[in-house]
Amino acid sequence: MTAALPWLTLIVCVAMTAVRIPSAIRGRNRTMFFLFALLSADILLSIKEPYLAIDAVLGGFNLANLLLRFMLYGTFLLLGVKTAAAFGSEAGLRAIRGPVGLAVLGLVAALTAWIFFTMDTRGSSVGLSGLHQNAALESYAALGRFYPGYVAVCLLPGIWKAVRSSAPTLLRIASATLFTGLVLLVLTQGFPLLPDGASWLRPVLNYSAALASALGMGGIWLSKSLARRTARG
Amino acid sequence: MYPSRKSSMSIPSKAFQRWLHGVAPDVSTSDVCRVSGLKRTTLAQQLVRGKVAESSLVRISRALDVNPVSALSTFDSYADLRGTPVAPTDAELLSQVATMDLLRAVIARNDPGAPQDFELAAAPHDTSVRAWVEAIDDGGLRHRVSRATGIAPQNFSAHLTANKLPPELAVATAREAGVGPAGGLIASGLVSEEEAGWRRGARRAALDRLGTAELVSLAGERLQALGKTLHRQENERDRTERIWENLG
Repeated sequence: MTAALPWLTLIVCVAMTAVRIPSAIRGRNRTMFFLFALLSADILLSIKEPYLAIDAVLGGFNLANLLLRFMLYGTFLLLGVKTAAAFGSEAGLRAIRGPVGLAVLGLVAALTAWIFFTMDTRGSSVGLSGLHQNAALESYAALGRFYPGYVAVCLLPGIWKAVRSSAPTLLRIASATLFTGLVLLVLTQGFPLLPDGASWLRPVLNYSAALASALGMGGIWLSKSLARRTARG
Repeated sequence: MYPSRKSSMSIPSKAFQRWLHGVAPDVSTSDVCRVSGLKRTTLAQQLVRGKVAESSLVRISRALDVNPVSALSTFDSYADLRGTPVAPTDAELLSQVATMDLLRAVIARNDPGAPQDFELAAAPHDTSVRAWVEAIDDGGLRHRVSRATGIAPQNFSAHLTANKLPPELAVATAREAGVGPAGGLIASGLVSEEEAGWRRGARRAALDRLGTAELVSLAGERLQALGKTLHRQENERDRTERIWENLG
């Protein structure tokens, strides 16, 4: 189960990317296609085998991990802007794309890079699990969790309103699924509090968050397609 | 025994099967579904769960040529419906005239050249539940209903907004208002006026009895309520469209 979860998440994300190809070719909502392609790449790069292969090309000192961090920041910036706009959350949009949001992103990105290059990162290992665990590595990991969590918190109130509205049922279910994914993401902030025996929970929580968010987005796409079809038929 | 006021919705399966056996002893469940157009799986599911929906009972009664209101009245939770039908008040009758028909009536009063004898659309209409409740409310009705049935006032309001009223709540509302028990069943579309014993042409007669000033005020109130409903729907649609436009 734990081993299958990353691949399942990857398959879902790739499928979501694929269904968007036709409309992306027609020039409609290309951002979403790009977002899902990026999300797929994120997931791919966080799975052991592809990670090791790509990191080997990049010199074998875990540069792939830094790359993944930056891709994730980009993913969440895109996701945050699109989702806040979708759910009509002015405050959320300002908190993500406004001066504060961009300052948070800039600071997180700069600190991430700085810590990475001050650490001894030799020895390719996915999630940097093979490196000597110390305070620097802890802060590096915490930064990586912080920005997605920040974006998620900005999005939650707007999505919750949609869940409780009288919108079409499928759209509400999809919004609730996305909401669940983002809540799980916020929960990952508590990783340092997990006892050592529960470390298996980390990947489960990470991938469940990604999977639920992706399924929620997919559900929104599906609800739109079905509504359009019904309107036409 | 008088039914418990907090009894759950719908009809117990056992009582339903006893009723069905009473009205159609030789008809199988699948025959019942075939003649009433009810999906077999739907009825089977309701029977297994132990509760049959009132709407199923109504469809089956119609198919078997049994008056649905009398059929309902045989169940303890609908004992209020037993006996001769209580005549509706004028306010109740008017509440079941569609807003557009009220507007037609306003025009007809003011313009002799306009159609005078237009056919009233059958109840229910787009805001018939709220209109019915407002027609029978003396100011404290919602409070009494919520105390008697245990429904939270905001849930009661939500039903009115959605133009829906669960049958048992409809009967309880009528009971608390002291009006005939079937009015809410008409307003929520479960049964027709004729089935509930409202005289043919009764709504028309009530409309004709209404003074012009009152008619215009009533139409005005309805228009305002309709405007609110449309606003809400449009806002909801805009919000949905924005989600689809950005993420779909």
